[in-house]
Amino acid sequence: MERDAQRRLDAIRAGRSELENAGIDELLAGRVSRRQFLRWGTVVGMSLPTLAIILEACGNTTNTPSGGNIKKGGRLNIGHQTPTGAMDPILTNDLGRLTILGQCGEYLSFSDKDLKLRPVLATSWSPNADGSVWTFKIRQGVKYNDGTTPMTVDDVVATFNRLADPSLKGNNALSNFAGVLSKGNVTKVDSQTVKFQLDAPNGNFPYLVSSDNYNAIILPANYTGNWDQTFIGTGPFKLKKYTVNDSVSLDKNPTYWDQSNQPYLDGLDFKFYDKEPAAILAFQAGSLDVYTQFSVSNGQGLLTDPNTTVIDIPTSAHRQIHLRTDQGPLTDKRVRQAIALSIDRNAIITGLWNGKAQIANDHPIFKMYPSSDTSVAQRAQDVTKAKDLMSQAGKSAGFKVTLYTEQVQEIPALAQLLQAAAKAIGVDITLNITDSGTYYDKYWLDSPLGITDYGHRGVPNTFLQAPLLSTGTWNAAHFSNPTYDGLFKDYVKAIDLSAQKAVTGKIEQLLLDETPLIIPYNYDFLTAVKKKVAGVETTGMGHVNFRLAGITS
Amino acid sequence: MSATIALGRQESAARLRRQAWVERLRLALRTPSLLIGVGVLLFWVILAIFAQNIAPHDPLAPDILHKLQPPSADHRFGTDGLGRDVLSRVIYGSRGILVAAPLATLLGTVVGTAIGLIAGYFRGLVEDVLMRITDAFLALPTIVTALLVLASVGGSTTTVILVIGLGFAPIIARTVRAAVLSEAQLEYVEAARLRRERAPYVMFVEILPNVMGPVLVEFTVRLGYAVFAIATLSFLGLGIPPPSPDWGLTISEQYTYLISNFWWPVLFPALAIASLVIAVNMFADGLSRVLER
Amino acid sequence: MLRFLARRIALALVTLWLLSVIIFLASHALPGDVGRRILGPFADPRAVATLDHSLGVDRPLLVQYLDWIGGFIRGDLGTSLSFHVPVAQLLLRGLGNSVKLALVAFVIVVPLSILGGVVAALRRGTFIDRTISIGGLSATAMPEFVTSIVLILLLSITLKVLPISVQVPPDADPFTQVYHLILPSLPLVLVLFGYIARITRAGMIEALESDYTRTAVLKGLAWRTVVFRHVLRNALMPTIAVVATQTGYLIGGLVVIETMFNYQGIGQLLYTSVAQKDFPLIQAGVMTVGVVYLVATLLADISYSLLNPRIRLAGRE
Repeated sequence: MERDAQRRLDAIRAGRSELENAGIDELLAGRVSRRQFLRWGTVVGMSLPTLAIILEACGNTTNTPSGGNIKKGGRLNIGHQTPTGAMDPILTNDLGRLTILGQCGEYLSFSDKDLKLRPVLATSWSPNADGSVWTFKIRQGVKYNDGTTPMTVDDVVATFNRLADPSLKGNNALSNFAGVLSKGNVTKVDSQTVKFQLDAPNGNFPYLVSSDNYNAIILPANYTGNWDQTFIGTGPFKLKKYTVNDSVSLDKNPTYWDQSNQPYLDGLDFKFYDKEPAAILAFQAGSLDVYTQFSVSNGQGLLTDPNTTVIDIPTSAHRQIHLRTDQGPLTDKRVRQAIALSIDRNAIITGLWNGKAQIANDHPIFKMYPSSDTSVAQRAQDVTKAKDLMSQAGKSAGFKVTLYTEQVQEIPALAQLLQAAAKAIGVDITLNITDSGTYYDKYWLDSPLGITDYGHRGVPNTFLQAPLLSTGTWNAAHFSNPTYDGLFKDYVKAIDLSAQKAVTGKIEQLLLDETPLIIPYNYDFLTAVKKKVAGVETTGMGHVNFRLAGITS
Repeated sequence: MSATIALGRQESAARLRRQAWVERLRLALRTPSLLIGVGVLLFWVILAIFAQNIAPHDPLAPDILHKLQPPSADHRFGTDGLGRDVLSRVIYGSRGILVAAPLATLLGTVVGTAIGLIAGYFRGLVEDVLMRITDAFLALPTIVTALLVLASVGGSTTTVILVIGLGFAPIIARTVRAAVLSEAQLEYVEAARLRRERAPYVMFVEILPNVMGPVLVEFTVRLGYAVFAIATLSFLGLGIPPPSPDWGLTISEQYTYLISNFWWPVLFPALAIASLVIAVNMFADGLSRVLER
Repeated sequence: MLRFLARRIALALVTLWLLSVIIFLASHALPGDVGRRILGPFADPRAVATLDHSLGVDRPLLVQYLDWIGGFIRGDLGTSLSFHVPVAQLLLRGLGNSVKLALVAFVIVVPLSILGGVVAALRRGTFIDRTISIGGLSATAMPEFVTSIVLILLLSITLKVLPISVQVPPDADPFTQVYHLILPSLPLVLVLFGYIARITRAGMIEALESDYTRTAVLKGLAWRTVVFRHVLRNALMPTIAVVATQTGYLIGGLVVIETMFNYQGIGQLLYTSVAQKDFPLIQAGVMTVGVVYLVATLLADISYSLLNPRIRLAGRE
């Protein structure tokens, strides 16, 4: 390390908290990668310039994204999944709505495709020593897109106390805040500062107030509903016309606060599509400039189209194959391991996903998370070992089991691949594939074997909690393991990266051994954009940021 | 004495009828559309029965690393999105539809013809009540009825047969009634009425044979439409669930590959459906020609 | 004639009432509790019960039915559970769009198929007859989703003669609107052509072979006069019945086409409402399809009777 760089690093370290210095030690010791350090650093509130200096001092460099030669003006025609309910930040629980929300509304911070947090309505944030109190500095001089109302600290306080309110009808943010943040524990410190007093220490809290918690758009303190009439928010666009179940047109917000990053476009015209092929055909025929999310199976043609740019980012969205642990033919963990060993993940990723998915290891702490312990060995196909396990479990003669799942995207295909793989070790799977509603109503939590779709999360907390804790509400595997429950508690309160990794390693090992879930892959978020369009930024959560997008000259 | 004469008259009537059938058979052998229709139908029935001997591959075995391969010597019709052999799936796919479509149509025709005959013959209150109920059901398109029913009970071969069959009944009833209305005015019906023949006799022995033309046309059009409707329900995700090689389901699973120019997983099952419906219709077309004489 | 009209309208109203009972009972047979639907699988059972009570879905069926049908008569169709807007607003837009699409299809298919059927019957047994019959059959045999894809690939993507998008600009003139609607209406035209032509042909042949035609010819009337005055008039009767029954198919059974082309009609709305178990929308949507169908049949019945005095007289008895 050069002396000059060392001196700058020392200067920074002197000003940082103990927590932050521990992270720097991890980086210096080579226990965390550059990417992991960057993500973690943004969570605990270190600014990007600071992080860049540290990385440079440690022999790393960051690269900043380059903008194209985008011209001012114009509108984009955007194909988008139909919203499935009322357009309201509090009720939103689908991609159809959250992408639209993000055009007009903003969050304290923006969780980008690398899971780094970028300050937006908060300028900085920091935890106390144990991570139970988080303090956020709020940006000043921001106006809502009605052109007059200023955004204040009171709005931030009101927004989060509202989202932490269990009595609020249809409040979708509760799944994020339950056991983390209680109503009334968000308080104003001064006209620029907000304090979050958490129910328990939480090292990942900033994600829960970032764009990853898509309900957490900052709204006026006196907000009472009817968002679909106003589309109120501090974002770069404002409502022009909204036709339920059909389309929404947005205009540029002329009073957008970020003077140096004003939108290039005059507006956005979203057209809703119920079925993907219709949208892809419209995109191919030139009626659409952008199609926000497409699947590999329907969009094979887009992947190779010379007139299309495919924005491809990995996400933590995945499929969980649950194996019921408390009754039925899968109670013996050797049988569950055998089924997990029967599948060829690489073939599935290459064949089913054209490589647009990442191999996963039957636990939800995907490699993209900074806290992932990548030293845990990847499970690979091993039919011989699987057959051995079957005979050890006394099931060498095989057995019959029914797999329940939903008709959603590639899931029926995955079910058929699993069926074929399990047949090779004597497990005879009958498929029962229904529509989503029927699956969730009738089968999900009561099936011996099933496949469920899980969307992206910026941190693995939800994945580790609801489907796996003995008290978890989505625990379809009926997995009940006191050791696991204890490890999960340890994980949540760990802020220090190495402490997190020590726990995640144990969790990953335990889940591999018990195999309540088979998670073969987490898949990429694919956006199709015409070549003439540049500057579109997407995230794993499904935010599609058009603030700096435009048409190239 | 008179009994003997009556017997003799019956015998000669039976002979005449037999002769008429022989004549019709001869005519049938000279009707090309009938022969072609029967030929194609037999072709599919034989494929369905001997599927395991004829199909070159397992219709359900995926080979994901060899998906969407164009037609070749090993896979004459190529492979689908999961790497399964399209030819084998088309052959096995004939099984479901060759059972479901005729059963559904038969159910609809039997129920519909009965309602239409009764309504057209009795007129008055009976007709009003029957036709109002029929109209109420008829006001719901088959697909809408099917949407409602299948969304609540779930898709299976049995529910699809029931839904399609009962969905067809009102349409057939209406056509049959219209035909009966024009027949009911004719002399032979009046004559039967004057002879004080019992109503079921007049309806099913006197009128039914004379409205068999429209019934047959309706039956065959409906049979074709049954194939079509079952495929449509599968396409909407409401019919027979995967991994069945059912043609309609296959198209619904694979049609999106068309936009990426992978035409073979869709074209062959589509041609299979089309060939089956056309064969059914040609068969019926020829049949009605023969029966008209 | 007035009495006949009054009778037909009264009968249509009875049918409508029967339909409302059928729809009401059918939608209540759909599995799943309304409150549970709205609040999601993780809601507290007490909250579900409270919501059910406030929505009134825990009352006796008869009370609920009277309440619903009363609202329907007053024009209050309720609020969509999934979209949180008045059902009437969604339905009117969907219906308007579907009618536009159906009209374009009808305008193309009715003259074309009747002409086809008449020509086939007059040239019975010839090459033209076979071409029309077999061609019509083939077109009818192909499911709409297959013809749609082929037409899109051919006309929109390869030849680029018709727009794939049915996103008509709101202020577009009628010609632009029709231009955008031709492509999605073509699969409907193909399906209906063979069917209507076939019925026309069968009716024509029956009429041509009937006694009155023979009598008319024997009386020495010109062939053209016989065909136009006697044959066509009788042959068109079954055709009218068929066209009327197809109205229901066109308006309500557009589910596939509207989904394929992402056209916001009533078919797509029904499909979405059933998928999302949106009870008020399902009930009102199906009921609307029924009303439209009944009006079409009523009109067909009237024209049928105008063409056939025997039926009209019978109706008067």
